[in-house]
Amino acid sequence: MKALVLSVLLLFSCNAFAAVGCDLNDPDRDVKRFFPSSTGYKTDYLSISKEGGAPLLKEVEAVLGDSFQGTYETIDVPYTVYTVFEGKEISGYIHGINQKGKFGGLQVFLIFTPEGGVRNFYYQKLTSKFAKDLRSEEFANQFKGLALSDFSDYDPKTGEGGSEKVKAVKFPSSDDSTDFLATLRAVKKNMILMDIFVFQRRNEK
Amino acid sequence: MNIMQVAGKNLRRRKVRTAFTIIGIALSSWVLVTLLGFNKGYEASLNKDIDDMGFQIVLTAKGCPYEAATLMLKGGTGLRYMEEDVVKSVYEAGEVDEVTPMLMHAEFDPNKGENGGTTVYLGIDPATYPHMKPYNQFAQGDWFKSGEKEKEVVLGYEAAELEQREAGDTFLIGEDEYLVTGVLKRSGTQDDGMIFLPLSTAQSVFDKSGKITMLGIKLDKDADIPAFEEELYKLPDVQVVSMAQVKNTIMSLVTSAKVIVMSIVVIAFAIAMFGVLNTVLMSVFERYQEIGILKSMGAMPFDIFKMVLFETTILCGIGGIIGVSFAILISGASEFAIRYFIPFAPTGGLIQISTNLAVISVAAIIAIGLLGGIYPALRAAAIRPLSAIRSEE
Repeated sequence: MKALVLSVLLLFSCNAFAAVGCDLNDPDRDVKRFFPSSTGYKTDYLSISKEGGAPLLKEVEAVLGDSFQGTYETIDVPYTVYTVFEGKEISGYIHGINQKGKFGGLQVFLIFTPEGGVRNFYYQKLTSKFAKDLRSEEFANQFKGLALSDFSDYDPKTGEGGSEKVKAVKFPSSDDSTDFLATLRAVKKNMILMDIFVFQRRNEK
Repeated sequence: MNIMQVAGKNLRRRKVRTAFTIIGIALSSWVLVTLLGFNKGYEASLNKDIDDMGFQIVLTAKGCPYEAATLMLKGGTGLRYMEEDVVKSVYEAGEVDEVTPMLMHAEFDPNKGENGGTTVYLGIDPATYPHMKPYNQFAQGDWFKSGEKEKEVVLGYEAAELEQREAGDTFLIGEDEYLVTGVLKRSGTQDDGMIFLPLSTAQSVFDKSGKITMLGIKLDKDADIPAFEEELYKLPDVQVVSMAQVKNTIMSLVTSAKVIVMSIVVIAFAIAMFGVLNTVLMSVFERYQEIGILKSMGAMPFDIFKMVLFETTILCGIGGIIGVSFAILISGASEFAIRYFIPFAPTGGLIQISTNLAVISVAAIIAIGLLGGIYPALRAAAIRPLSAIRSEE
């Protein structure tokens, strides 16, 4: 009982801060859904602070074309990379990031081919007035086949630039493009992080 | 030269002995005051922690899950409601310090992500809830700015993280936009995942006018919680969730700590008293002949008795004041040491040395010293002048 009391009291003095990550809600189910023939997966927890610190953050921001903002987009945010296997072969990757939207948080997940192209796109969670449009299959399908190179001159602050494939991605609703632009920023950031955490390293090996 | 001046001179003549005696008394005083201060501070801090736990009793409709986690697992179903009038009935049960009505609501939004999602809201009374949950501190902003019926929300730490919201941002409930007035710091409770909005707003938005799901009850400090719970069970269709057991255990911990501390205080007193007795008695024996000469010069036994007691008073007074001052000066370091060594220490000042405590402690040290000085003083007063002068040192 005393342990319980101490636990209860300790709860009231705990004010630790921790950056929020973005994990799959149900990894077993989600991996199987996107990779039906997968035989397993491994999970890696990475962060900019651990992988390269401030210089890496600057590099990410430079490629992104925007600085990290607000309380929740920080250098120590943990990113979870799911590497999916079919036997001993890598059949793809799953990676999600949190993005601040106009009305709430967006959890933007990309499913990558082993080469780094986008195989699929989905919001694990989103709060938006335009949620119905954003979570439609038509909208998600527009991201299939995109690669980081398509975003090389895309400016997330203005929404301008990008390859023809990026320019072809259209927002179904014309009322307010804030969450649409936030989504494109999240996609570009997601690809940059995956390029640094996975694809560049794999090529170095 | 009067007998008091003789006493003062005696102490000055034996400087080293006087200094060591004063140091001994000062150390005892330091221990005494620190322990008494700890006794007071520990209890006060624990009481504050109990107070900061907010309400001790939660009243819900019978069968209603009162935890957000349960609600989420059940997909936001299973809530039952009480009429808001129950507040009046609870106040009538007596011993109530304050109550705060709440309306919990879970809303499933099919567009909230790939498979939809449930969000739990808590409608709270802005006038009572904030100070009944004093441990809730803000990372950003504050409680609702405009009071009742406004479209404002406060987010728990994890809810804000999940929604990437900061104070001043917009938050969506249904199709309506709300202003985020504040984001709470992490508390380790279910409040972390909660989205708070004014009770009347919640009742209106979720179409639950005049209904509440929970009533937080804070009782008077000395209230009989079990008896009060029995009273509550007389209300129709309610269940009582109580923190009484936690509070009782904490109070038994406090009582145990007090017994231990007071035992050490008694030991400190005894050490101080016998230290003074020993020192003064030795001093009397050393001045055996001197006292005999004083008596032969006309000093009465009562004068000698007063002289010895006066010496004792000076020793204890100076030692006590030094000890208490030292205790006050290093109370911060003492508190740091206590916090380092004991596994759990409540928040707030652990050692509280008030002016009253300081004055009473010095007085108690002098009183104990005088008690210890009575026997040597009686021995000194009983010395026969001629036999004392004839004796060899």
